[in-house]
Amino acid sequence: MKIPKSITSEGPFAIGIPAIVWQVLFFCLPILLIVITSFIEFSEIGEVLGFTFEKITYFFNPIYFRVIGLSFALALSNALICFSLAYPLAYFLAFRGRRFKSVLLFFLLIPFWTNFLLHVYAWFYVLEKHGFVNNLLLSLGIIQEPLVLLNTPIAIMIMMAYYYLPFMVLPIYSSLERFNPSLIEASYDLGASWFQTFRQIILPLTMRGIRAGFFLVYIPSFGEFAIPGLMGGDKIMFVGTVVSEFILAEGTGSLGAAFMVISGALLLISAIFFYFLLGRLSGRAHG
Amino acid sequence: MAKPSYIGPVGHILLVASTYLFLWVPIIVLLAFSFNSEVFPAPWKSFTFKWYIELIQNIYLWKTFVNSLIIAFSSTFISILMGIFLIFFVAQGGRFGKYLNLFYGSVIIPETVLGVSLLGFFGLTSISLGLATLIVGHTILGLGFVVPLVYARYLELDTRLTEASLALGATPLQTFFKVTLPLLKPTLISSALLVFIISFDDFILTYFCSGSSTQTLSLYILSMIRSGVSPVMNALSAVLLFISSIMVIIYFHLSTRGKIFL
Repeated sequence: MKIPKSITSEGPFAIGIPAIVWQVLFFCLPILLIVITSFIEFSEIGEVLGFTFEKITYFFNPIYFRVIGLSFALALSNALICFSLAYPLAYFLAFRGRRFKSVLLFFLLIPFWTNFLLHVYAWFYVLEKHGFVNNLLLSLGIIQEPLVLLNTPIAIMIMMAYYYLPFMVLPIYSSLERFNPSLIEASYDLGASWFQTFRQIILPLTMRGIRAGFFLVYIPSFGEFAIPGLMGGDKIMFVGTVVSEFILAEGTGSLGAAFMVISGALLLISAIFFYFLLGRLSGRAHG
Repeated sequence: MAKPSYIGPVGHILLVASTYLFLWVPIIVLLAFSFNSEVFPAPWKSFTFKWYIELIQNIYLWKTFVNSLIIAFSSTFISILMGIFLIFFVAQGGRFGKYLNLFYGSVIIPETVLGVSLLGFFGLTSISLGLATLIVGHTILGLGFVVPLVYARYLELDTRLTEASLALGATPLQTFFKVTLPLLKPTLISSALLVFIISFDDFILTYFCSGSSTQTLSLYILSMIRSGVSPVMNALSAVLLFISSIMVIIYFHLSTRGKIFL
């Protein structure tokens, strides 16, 4: 190309570098360092003594296996709950919202753009012993005694789904927006049922959005420590909880880093697995 | 035309309506109690503005608010500026495509991992934690959105426009500032809003990289929640919801149809 070359002659070429340098210096390097430190033995004053696997094997303990397992369960169930709430919503926004579409999107984005700790706080009002849900159920006569909802796994799941729902809705919505609705009509004209159309046309063609939404929910859910801590009353330990406790306690920082590296590696493996699984799900429908 | 679906239009509307109830009931309850003269769990007594007055008088809270604003403005400014530089670099014929994956890293790695890694990095390099370290960290979060969004928009631009500008005798620098940059303006502003709100509301990274001397609004809210119910927090929520509504409206105006990304 001729024109870009003529532009090259003007202005310093290195101007594009800051973003890359920043990203390498404050993102790649810290993560690399944390991985390396989990294999290095330090003396009391911080000298490097040598290579060690001890910090990794420290966590070969059923207690920590359980923590990792629970985090996988939390992340996966949250992604599935969000998907089942988000898909009908995104579908509605894309195809049935009509003139209410921007209003609906507006009311979806406002909670999403407000500090999530305030939503945690809001849910206290709903789930408390004298809160909204208990008052409603008591006055309807469905229950006689107030239910204990706070500090339970249910409270954690509700809050997780609440916070992560828009992360699932928006990518699915944008892929449905790009989807050509006349394909649905073509499918019906050719005699397919609603389910066949959904399974073989809509789902595969919006798989990009589903996959993006899945990872935007699954990955941060795995490392979450604030929501389980606040809604679960610190009773159930997840990876994020263990890591933050190790890191912020005195002298156990590098152990926390090691645990994070182990669970991060497992998360990465599972993410690769789901990436191909979701790809297969859409691929098979084509065949 | 309405598309037939498995649950039928009425069922679908009910499903969507209940999802919106799920999203908004807690917020409405929260807002209602910001006007109640009695502290929850006492039932409704009388209408009052006293919690809003207490909110305005809470000097410590506004200090943390200002900290959050400083961090959000700085990290937004730095990441947008770097984004513009990067586009300039690409417009000069610089090859960037292969580095793009670098910036997706912030999405595929949990923020907890980033926070802990940065904390370790600052510890190792003996950089003391504070506003500066938070700005550095939040800029990483910001770049993860700005770079992919602005770069993708740049690739979509009609190259004939820049060619026409150059053919009509504008210098490459003029072309960049008078053609390319104005075309990218909506994307730049909407990603700036996104970065600003992400930084302002950030909790996880801030929790690890703030140190003991610097407190942001998120951390202050956390300490308030931990100590129990306070109607001042309800009043604060109302104010913050109002601010984010305005930002969402601006964001909407800028996003072209179907291009709403997060």
